[in-house]
Amino acid sequence: MAIVACSTPPGRSGLAVVRLSGKNSYKTIKTFIPNKTLKKKHLFPSLVELVDEKGEVFDQAVVTQYLSPNSYTGEDLVELSCHGNPIIVSKIIDLCLAAGASIAEPGEFTKRAYMNGKMDLSEAESVSSIIHAKSLAGVRSGIKNLKGSLSGSVYEIKKTIIGFVANLEFNLDISEDDLQPNLINNTLAEVKQQIHTLDTCIKNFKESQFFQEGASVVLAGPPNAGKSTLFNLLINKKHSIVTPEEGTTRDVVEKSLFIKQLPITLKDTAGIRGSQSEAERQGILKSKEEVLDADLVIMFDKKPKSSPTNHIYVFNKSDIAKTTDNYDIHISAKKNKKIQDLKNMIYKNLVGAFTPGEILLTSKRQLAAVCGASKHLKQAYALLKENNSLELVVEDLNLCISELDKITTKTTRDDILDSVFSSFCVGK
Amino acid sequence: MKRLDTKYQVVVVGGGHAGLEAALISHKRGVKTLLVSMDKGAVGRTSCNPAIGGLAKGQMVKEVDVLGGIMGAFADQSTLQSKTLNTSKGRSVWSPRSQIDKNLYEKIAQLHTLDVGLDVYEGEVVGLDIKNNSVCGVVLKNNKKILCESAILTCGTFLNGLIHIGKKQIRAGRYNEKRSKGITEFLNSIGLSSGRLKTGTPPRIKRSSVDWTQGEKDLGDKKPKPLSYRTKNFNPKNEPCFAFRTKTETHDMILKNLSSSAMYSGKNMATGPRYCPSIEDKVYKFKNNPSHLLQLEPEWTKSEQIYVNGFSTSLSEDIQLKCLKTVDGLQNVEFIRPGYAIEYDFFHPSQLKNTLESKAVDGLFLAGQINGTSGYEEASSQGILAGINASCYILNEEPLVLKRDDAYIGVLIDDLILKDTNEPYRMFTSRAEYRLQLRSSNADQRLLKYSIKYNLLDKKTVEMLSKKIKKTQNMVNMLEKTSVKPAEINNRLILLGEKEIKESQKISNILKRPSVLIKDFNINNEKSEGLNSFLEDEVLFEAETIIKYSGYINRQKEEIDKIKIYEEMIIPKNFDYNQIKSLSNESREKFINIKPQTVGQAQRINGIRPTDISILLVYLRRPFHVKQI
Repeated sequence: MAIVACSTPPGRSGLAVVRLSGKNSYKTIKTFIPNKTLKKKHLFPSLVELVDEKGEVFDQAVVTQYLSPNSYTGEDLVELSCHGNPIIVSKIIDLCLAAGASIAEPGEFTKRAYMNGKMDLSEAESVSSIIHAKSLAGVRSGIKNLKGSLSGSVYEIKKTIIGFVANLEFNLDISEDDLQPNLINNTLAEVKQQIHTLDTCIKNFKESQFFQEGASVVLAGPPNAGKSTLFNLLINKKHSIVTPEEGTTRDVVEKSLFIKQLPITLKDTAGIRGSQSEAERQGILKSKEEVLDADLVIMFDKKPKSSPTNHIYVFNKSDIAKTTDNYDIHISAKKNKKIQDLKNMIYKNLVGAFTPGEILLTSKRQLAAVCGASKHLKQAYALLKENNSLELVVEDLNLCISELDKITTKTTRDDILDSVFSSFCVGK
Repeated sequence: MKRLDTKYQVVVVGGGHAGLEAALISHKRGVKTLLVSMDKGAVGRTSCNPAIGGLAKGQMVKEVDVLGGIMGAFADQSTLQSKTLNTSKGRSVWSPRSQIDKNLYEKIAQLHTLDVGLDVYEGEVVGLDIKNNSVCGVVLKNNKKILCESAILTCGTFLNGLIHIGKKQIRAGRYNEKRSKGITEFLNSIGLSSGRLKTGTPPRIKRSSVDWTQGEKDLGDKKPKPLSYRTKNFNPKNEPCFAFRTKTETHDMILKNLSSSAMYSGKNMATGPRYCPSIEDKVYKFKNNPSHLLQLEPEWTKSEQIYVNGFSTSLSEDIQLKCLKTVDGLQNVEFIRPGYAIEYDFFHPSQLKNTLESKAVDGLFLAGQINGTSGYEEASSQGILAGINASCYILNEEPLVLKRDDAYIGVLIDDLILKDTNEPYRMFTSRAEYRLQLRSSNADQRLLKYSIKYNLLDKKTVEMLSKKIKKTQNMVNMLEKTSVKPAEINNRLILLGEKEIKESQKISNILKRPSVLIKDFNINNEKSEGLNSFLEDEVLFEAETIIKYSGYINRQKEEIDKIKIYEEMIIPKNFDYNQIKSLSNESREKFINIKPQTVGQAQRINGIRPTDISILLVYLRRPFHVKQI
């Protein structure tokens, strides 16, 4: 059965694309496209007229057909580019339904692509991350994974670990001699290195999440410290009202901006003080909540002895005042001084030395798999170190491999034996 | 001789390790059984190396033993030396192996068939009589027919066997033994597909031609352990083997004469096993190894015939001799017979159910090398299972299917029926994902329930093993309940180089440390009546192991429970894979060829992806979600 959905966002636009997938896609559209020149033909766009039940033309559209298996879903697939009017779109979908199609569930096109073997799970997840990514860097990492880069990198790690297992299996399973003298020490060193690779990967995920989903940065501190001035400066617009009076900002004001491709939601909050006004009190309560939820807080206050790592303590108005207290940075929002340094500091605090382009995980599922792999690798390391049974070490290494299998393809016992036979001269 | 008009229930074709186990267990279960062999004197023959057991194989011998098989007991009665391999490594890979007296083994086997009254007939089977897709007889070369309801084919390397020694080819099943012709052609004619495989054996040399002072003596364990639970007294002779080493001259000579090797002469030969390579393979593929080990093993007590383990070859006889003469101590070596490679027919085991019965013909079972395996133990494992299941077929009982977490035998059969063999299949412990649970020391704990259900063991043995298992469990419970104070154990822990304990702890907790053993605690372990010292030792060893491995084994058990539902999801016998258009052609072909019996089996077929299973479940109207395995 064919499924149908509008693939462009709802609302008015120049064009809208309605997509159908399934064996009966062509049959379905033929019910409202009387044009005789429209044939079932791969990748041949044709301009057609769309007619309703009464035979009246209601729009013109370009039809592009992709025939199985050479389509996104692996099935016959049709894309109708019509005019971007919600009435037209819903008319087309109604006509498709009348012809026996059904509405696609969210993500069903991708699910069908996965079921038809057009992509593996990590590729399917990348599709969703491309659609939802908030920055170009996020889109890039999604596209890279869609091309199989993640599977490729994980495969490399897995191959190394299969190598360890092969080495240990040879000793357990084939060689009747005692262990090679350096086996344990060499394996220890190599396992340690792979633990590092996996852990870097996990750290990167958290940072890359900011590229995918954006980070929230909150400006907070006492009233009249210049938060709104800085806010306007960073977003390059007079958005927040600035007055010399304390308590001007009462509600949370937010705006998006990019720092070096990193998408940021910047939030200006009410200054925190004891206040008589109920409205301001509510605003202050909200400020406190925002501080708790923020990925990063720009605090207009001196740095306490123990401070959270996601806080930057800013001394503003450095053009007119001096201080001996401890701050992370001295700026002047009014005179636009040291603002670039502050931006660098924000970037560094959020994503560290991270540069998009290394192994990138794009979903929680992938993260869970890599975390599991790292856990078992660490356990294997500990067992090796305490000279425990080698089969237990292999057991943990195998568990590590099966975690990584969740991101790539399945490893079989034969893969391990193949690795043994290719590296060792087996047999008395 | 038996009259041929007698009707049998089960006829076993072949008297090697598979055939012998199959015939004896079927006979033992009260089914009228006949064993047909081309040579009565060759029943129970060990055609290659004079050893039984070894890595992964020792575990299988013990499993066969608990299932009522004879291999372990016969090996114990003919042991020249016995050794537990891998004791420097983890407990689950400890594997017993015995060097045996091949002549004695054969003799014991043949006497045993007489003792228990198993009918043995000398003749050559060339076909089967099949009606309504069921076996109803076997056809002999002299055109006579033996009526039966079930047949077990265990033809070893005899089906169209072809021996290669250099360029020389000899039609034979083993050296100097006639090959068998007819069965392959018959089975092909009813639609079963066959292939060719290759294996090899090294030369046999004269003891008197070796300078033994040049070899390194290798003896068995000081406290040898028997392979069979039924062996009470075990005092093997401890005859030595000797290690010699090849030299660069040997390797140069082999490389120079590669063209004389049947396998390297460019002829298209069947695939041989990678784990048991010929000497020319080893020298050619691993050029960096300066020397390979040759183990010289006696074939029977003080035998003149010596087996050159490690020198399997298909080089021509004169080159074999020349190469061996370069080895220190073998300058004057003389052959009793040269090494050779042998090609033979096998039947793709994916045509079998997990009971070893053919999917196409009811009552037809195949076991041993005919299924593409290699090794006495692999053969005997299949033989015992085929024998049990043929008798179940006759007695109308539910067949015995061993799971991958039950036994190596379960792993073996599951692998065979789901994989396409392109080399002879040998068991390795790493093939078993539940290796930690499949120990040589717990074969009884794993399989006794089946022996009881199918009545495979005598009452006394069942009682003895039940007692042993119970004692082990009690010991584990005690260790988990009892605590020790720091003062009671710390001195010992310091001595072992372990951290001291600060407050009282359960013994089981401390026992999990790698170097701590039960004997480090002051435990009162009274000997039980009816358990010999081997069994008593194993009780302690097992209790320790169960505790040491408990974390891992519990996790595996959870995993087994999770995937169990798939093992129970039956795929209808005539399920049409062509209706699933979204399967890739490759996966569809695999499903159609193998016809998995359950979704669990389907998942384990090589190259099948989780998406294939998701789609299959949709068509089987099962929940879509697939758990990762």
